[in-house]
Amino acid sequence: MEQTKRKFHASMINDYRAFVFLGIVLIFGIFANNFYTLYNFTSIFSGSSLYTFIGLAFTLCMIAGHMDLSVGYMATMGAMMVLGMRTLEGLPWGVAFLVAAGVGALFGLANGILVAKAKIHSFIVTLGMQFVIKGLLNIYSNGAEISVKGDFEVTDILNSSPIPFLPFSVLFLFTLAAVIILMVVLAKTRFGRNVYMLGGNLETAWLAGIKSDRNTILIFMISGILCGLGGALYGVSAGTATPTLGEKGIAPLMVGLTATIIGGTDIAGGKGSVLNTFVSIVAILAMFGVITTLVGKFEVQILFIGIVLAFCVLYETFTKYAKQKTLGIRPDLVQKYMQESGKTKL
Amino acid sequence: MTTKEQQATAPGIKQDSRRTDISKTSLFINRAGAYFIVAILLVIGLIIAQGRFVSIDNIRSILNAVSLTGMACAGLAFVVYSANFNDMSLPMTMALSGMMAVQLIPFGIVVSVVGGIAAGTLVGVVNGILIGKFRANPIIWTLAFNMVLSGIVRVAWGGSQIYPDTVAGDSEFAQQAAVQFNSFARTYFFDGALPLMVVVMIVLFVFAYFMMTRTRFGNKLKMVGSNYEAARLSGVNCAKTVILAYVLCSLCAAIAGIFYTSMTKIGAYSNGEGYDFDCLTAVLLGGMTLAGGKGNIVGVFGGVLVVGMLKNIMTLIGISTFSQYLVTGVVFLIVVWINTSSERKLGRA
Repeated sequence: MEQTKRKFHASMINDYRAFVFLGIVLIFGIFANNFYTLYNFTSIFSGSSLYTFIGLAFTLCMIAGHMDLSVGYMATMGAMMVLGMRTLEGLPWGVAFLVAAGVGALFGLANGILVAKAKIHSFIVTLGMQFVIKGLLNIYSNGAEISVKGDFEVTDILNSSPIPFLPFSVLFLFTLAAVIILMVVLAKTRFGRNVYMLGGNLETAWLAGIKSDRNTILIFMISGILCGLGGALYGVSAGTATPTLGEKGIAPLMVGLTATIIGGTDIAGGKGSVLNTFVSIVAILAMFGVITTLVGKFEVQILFIGIVLAFCVLYETFTKYAKQKTLGIRPDLVQKYMQESGKTKL
Repeated sequence: MTTKEQQATAPGIKQDSRRTDISKTSLFINRAGAYFIVAILLVIGLIIAQGRFVSIDNIRSILNAVSLTGMACAGLAFVVYSANFNDMSLPMTMALSGMMAVQLIPFGIVVSVVGGIAAGTLVGVVNGILIGKFRANPIIWTLAFNMVLSGIVRVAWGGSQIYPDTVAGDSEFAQQAAVQFNSFARTYFFDGALPLMVVVMIVLFVFAYFMMTRTRFGNKLKMVGSNYEAARLSGVNCAKTVILAYVLCSLCAAIAGIFYTSMTKIGAYSNGEGYDFDCLTAVLLGGMTLAGGKGNIVGVFGGVLVVGMLKNIMTLIGISTFSQYLVTGVVFLIVVWINTSSERKLGRA
């Protein structure tokens, strides 16, 4: 009986800590002025859009055992492409969004081929790709920003709330749709199961007949498409995009990575949930809001996001360390040994 | 040979057609590593900028430009060599050591420098204990610690920058210390031919080379980097080795941070920004791999030279800063690709 109880607590912290974190933030929200207002929640949810897309892409790659550091710049590219196609080239919005997603897919394909076929570590590939994308973006726009130039039609639609009394803007509804689609794909399709198997053990997955190269490339492509779309939606809703979008303030990559870790995704791969990542991103943004009202400093935001991330890493590390220490030891014999020797510690 | 022929002639057994000889080019690329690219860049430089490339002025400016990266790389090489990917807390180590040094200027120049280096090294101790002893994930932990440090530094100094001469105040002694501190990055030997920063970089590389090849620690590090479990089972104190690797990394980063602060005359939290990936780029160009236990310090020095020369040549030709990112990224990817494939062909990956 006690055994099952302990397991329940462990799973609570391991699998649902994003929800616990969100709960803590919401409790602190009581002390912040105007936290529980419709407007505030609308802005938190809308603000979470870009981070969610980046976090989803990052989580997907991490479940498969890879790291995609280029997500931040790919999102920037999506934003630049959609506004560039619309404002500079005069294409219709639909085509502009397609181009943004397509370019993201293209760079994802490049990442995937380098990782799967050339067998370079994904950390290195995406690190190099980061520089390439940064250079290309700056060349494309000459380092200047691209804006919608008075064509605010779609921007207004994205920022409006279609459902009364609910804090959901259209932008957030798109984000939510992406989360749900990815959740279903990961849980219900063969591809989703392959992702988990590839992350768990690449060799075994290959031996089990999964086309590991093709699936890895596909994972990186989906990551690219997600980033491209997320960046495009953000760029249009903000009405402007600059090449430095991927690095200003707390970099979107860092927020995505933090949320992925808080959400309980294993860095070694094979374990993780998209929903948890999404919840922790919302929690992080709510935390920023609470801190801004209570303390009012940007510095404290960085300190707190760091502390939360460090806490999660420390917790995981110490539980793993304790597990390693008692690995392969029979508990009944340990108890006997302790009774006989009178020691309290092993 | 005879056995192979016998096998081939025996009925029912197919001839083993797998290649057993080692590809000469792969071996050459693997041995020469970054210096191959240094030579290529040298030739390109000689052709493109006649007379300007190989001059005392230009060589000094190349070395001066990479000296800070080089100092940090000499330390980071230990971490990469021990199969711990990258020290993402490098930027804040540099910033923290610089800010501590500036803050301690009123107590004299010696206290300031020692305090700065000690503060930076402390970061390495914490990283080392958590990663070496408790086996935290190196990337995620150093990233988290970087964020925590960033927050602490920003909150402690109220998010503002500090200047050596303002911190020193009115006292004569402190003002002198501030002047001395600012002159670190502007000290030249031999009539301005050899900057102090380059000397320090070369000293650190020689020190790292000595540590890596001539000491017991270096041998242990190679074992830990190549195969952690095997090293542990053969009695190597892995935790101690990894801790020392991180301490050395932070020590070098702290020295680099003090020179950076001295160069810009500003102690700010943004001092080392971007150095984590820049240094990793140089180390990987130098032939080290993220798998650990491969490459050497001489190669890393070559990698640092490649970064400097590439930037210098691009500036000489007149490529814009934006395009430089692109070229750096592409060159990096191609070099790492060639490196990885040669390792794989030699059966070492």
